[in-house]
Amino acid sequence: MAGKKTPSNLDLIKNGIFRENTIFRLALSLCPSIAVTNKLENGVLMGIAVLFVQVMANITVSLMRNFIHPRIRLPIFMLIISGWVTVADMAMAAYAREAYKQMGLYIQLIVAFASILARAEMFASKNKVVPSMFDGIGMGLGFLFSLSIISFFRELLGKGSLWGYAIIDAKPLLIMVLPAGGFFAVGILMGFFNWLSLRYEKKM
Amino acid sequence: MTGKDIIKITLNLVVIYLIGGLILAVVYAKTSPIMFKKAALEKEVALKKLIPDADAIEKLGDWYIHDKHSEYFVARKNNAVIGYVIQSFGKGYSSYIDTLIAVDTDFKVIKISILGHAETPGLGDEIEADTFKNQLAGKDAEHLKIVQTETVDYVQAISGATISSRAVTEDAVKNGIAFLIKTLGEGGHGRKKDTE
Repeated sequence: MAGKKTPSNLDLIKNGIFRENTIFRLALSLCPSIAVTNKLENGVLMGIAVLFVQVMANITVSLMRNFIHPRIRLPIFMLIISGWVTVADMAMAAYAREAYKQMGLYIQLIVAFASILARAEMFASKNKVVPSMFDGIGMGLGFLFSLSIISFFRELLGKGSLWGYAIIDAKPLLIMVLPAGGFFAVGILMGFFNWLSLRYEKKM
Repeated sequence: MTGKDIIKITLNLVVIYLIGGLILAVVYAKTSPIMFKKAALEKEVALKKLIPDADAIEKLGDWYIHDKHSEYFVARKNNAVIGYVIQSFGKGYSSYIDTLIAVDTDFKVIKISILGHAETPGLGDEIEADTFKNQLAGKDAEHLKIVQTETVDYVQAISGATISSRAVTEDAVKNGIAFLIKTLGEGGHGRKKDTE
């Protein structure tokens, strides 16, 4: 990292949304991106839960980075992450029951997200609190953005509705809300975003 | 690894567990009453919705289906029994479908409601749609049968989700009604066969 100029907070956020987008660029955490995205509402709520956990885990890890013994840093990161996931889980069970019933299991699975552990290890454990927070916000927003787009297309095409409200009055493409449709949606969108970045990053 | 390391690692873990435990305890204390209150309210609202005429719905007893604990209720209006509500489970494609069934005093279905399930999204979860649930209204035990064609007398399967449709109609609802008939000991007419 030495010699490199420190990125601004805005750069950190942009990095998480575009250059290192969890799903479309890093291809991490694909399991929830297929499992919970058959409805826009679920995709957005899942994205918010991940955003919360990512930011809180980054802040906590960064605060404790000089205190944690390097030998047990990974188990400690897992403990921190699982603690915040449990907080998100309990909050959703109380305040967003309808959605929680459908995706409760996947909220708990956030513990195992490679992207969250990776940010704790690669960024938050080496940086101060404020940049870590913005890195978390960037990565979380990137995830929220990806899940929203995927679930937007899947619900629109597969159910003909958005957020539960009917939009298209025609027989929907049922396959889009089934698991296979998830693979299609993620694959096509991933290809699209890579094409976009190839096209526009070449100029730089 | 030196003794100092061991002490530091122990300290690390103790501090993390203490802080984490504290945070979780606070959040749990704040959220769990809300959660339980909402869950109880949901059940009450679900019961009320099934028989809106009733002014009192009381629990009659417990019963078991697929080794799951369920309850049944009696609905009264001005102290006269106007129907019963029974909770029942049907073995679906990928889950047990948790159902509430309201019947009148002739044990004909008034209305059903799906409390919970984990059927295939987009196919099996159509059991929650009114178009399917309304088909069951007015049916007695004999007419709770899934058919693949368009029908008025019976219940038409959801296309692509025959197993889920059957689980609701022929398992949860039919067995629930059979149990009510057996237990409350009325009307031999609906008592066809015990599928349990």
